[in-house]
Amino acid sequence: MNVKEKILLVDDEEGIRKVLGISLSDKGYDVFTAQDGEGALRVFKETKPSVVLTDIKMPGMDGIELLGRLKKEDPDTEVIMITGHGEMDLAIKSLKYEATDFVTKPINDDVLEIALKRAYEKISMKRQLRDYTQNLEKLVKEQSAKLVETERAAAVGQTVAGLAHAIKNIAGGLRGGVFVVEKGMELGNDEYLRQGWDMVKTDVARIRAMALDLLNYAKERIPDYKLYDPNGVAREVLALMGPRAKEYGVALEADLDEDLPDVWFDPEGMHRCLTNLVTNAIDACADITCAERDGRVVLKSFAPGNEQYRAGYEVADNGCGITEEMMPKLFQSFFSTKGTKGTGLGLMTTKKIVDEHGGDIAVQSDPGKGTQFVIRFAPMDHTGAASEA
Amino acid sequence: MEQKVLVVDDELHMRNFMTTLLETSGFEPLAAEDGVKGLELAQTHKPILVIMDVMMPRESGIEMYRKLRDDPELKDIPVIVVSAVAKKTFFHSQTVLNQYRGERIPEPAAYIEKPPEPEELLEVIHSTLGGEG
Repeated sequence: MNVKEKILLVDDEEGIRKVLGISLSDKGYDVFTAQDGEGALRVFKETKPSVVLTDIKMPGMDGIELLGRLKKEDPDTEVIMITGHGEMDLAIKSLKYEATDFVTKPINDDVLEIALKRAYEKISMKRQLRDYTQNLEKLVKEQSAKLVETERAAAVGQTVAGLAHAIKNIAGGLRGGVFVVEKGMELGNDEYLRQGWDMVKTDVARIRAMALDLLNYAKERIPDYKLYDPNGVAREVLALMGPRAKEYGVALEADLDEDLPDVWFDPEGMHRCLTNLVTNAIDACADITCAERDGRVVLKSFAPGNEQYRAGYEVADNGCGITEEMMPKLFQSFFSTKGTKGTGLGLMTTKKIVDEHGGDIAVQSDPGKGTQFVIRFAPMDHTGAASEA
Repeated sequence: MEQKVLVVDDELHMRNFMTTLLETSGFEPLAAEDGVKGLELAQTHKPILVIMDVMMPRESGIEMYRKLRDDPELKDIPVIVVSAVAKKTFFHSQTVLNQYRGERIPEPAAYIEKPPEPEELLEVIHSTLGGEG
């Protein structure tokens, strides 16, 4: 033993304490003694021995009770019981209370030695097990950290690749627009000029939308919560998107609940959400080759009529709809159902803003018939100040 | 000799770009916004070349391409696919369909991933047609 193992010897007979104490000291233990249960508990708390050797029959608190109290104090303590002749029942009872072993009086040195050896083997095994467990936990922590790091790197790679792809698409579109404008100027062809200019304008708008979505997503913009009219935002979006809808031959209609109260939300963020949803809806209707009807988009505001939210919007279109297999991917970054026309950022950003508002966004779609997106926000249980926290 | 070239793409701006490119290069462009209309125009006009997208409503380019190749009158018209779908994906889908249906549809004359560069597209158009003649 490098460091002396501590042992607590408990016996009401002074003679035994003395003889056994000397014997244990000779064997290299750091011996503490107590003459009764109460004293033993006190010494135990002070010295924290790993092994306790206690007489079973003592006045006051007996050995069995002491055993129980010690195990309660520290379940890892090894307790060896000392029993007299005719105390076999008590000895067996003590084993039930998780005594490590028992030795009978008069104490045979060899027997005690074996009992102590077993006790310390048990202690040593427990320590090893604890070390392994701790190492394992440490290992798991290290590996998890590595995994998170790898996943983060992969996510960054994916983001960069997705962005590069989106930018390449827009740049390609611009390149096409510039080409058509150049041909228009070269040949003095107004039709080319007009077409090319439309292409350029569309792509400039796409770049702008992408930058705004990215900024929103990257948390560059801190939500600015105000007590504001939800219909005000809806009207601004309708006015902004009107020309686009007209250009694509889509009817853009309003269905606003004029009784909606002012609520706490970030008007600019919600403006972004509605712009994204209405743009998608118009695009879905412009693709009207899949349905023989006139495109129609309705932006509705409503009171959710439940305890959870104060306001909501619905953007419904009668466009091509979203297939079931597309649904789970809708809010993922850089996933777009619009091919080269989409960046795959709009819905992702929309969801993030709605999440920031403590709201929810739901989508229902009937392929070939149309799609409805529903946002519900302005939770009842907190104001804007609380949602900023 | 008639220089009709059919452009099939659901994106208006892509159609405008390609028809302008073709028109200003001496071709007579025709445009359709999906596979169904594209096939109709091909049957009516018998263009010398078809430039087509893959992801389109109603009928995708994957199906339209196979129908072009299945039509005895249209099967020899060269096709350039211009798509955001990766080249590998498109060719893989054609291989799988060939195996699955026991067909032997040949690969298109050329494949350009979107967005196409004007010069690149023009070069491919000329080399495709040159190879034909």
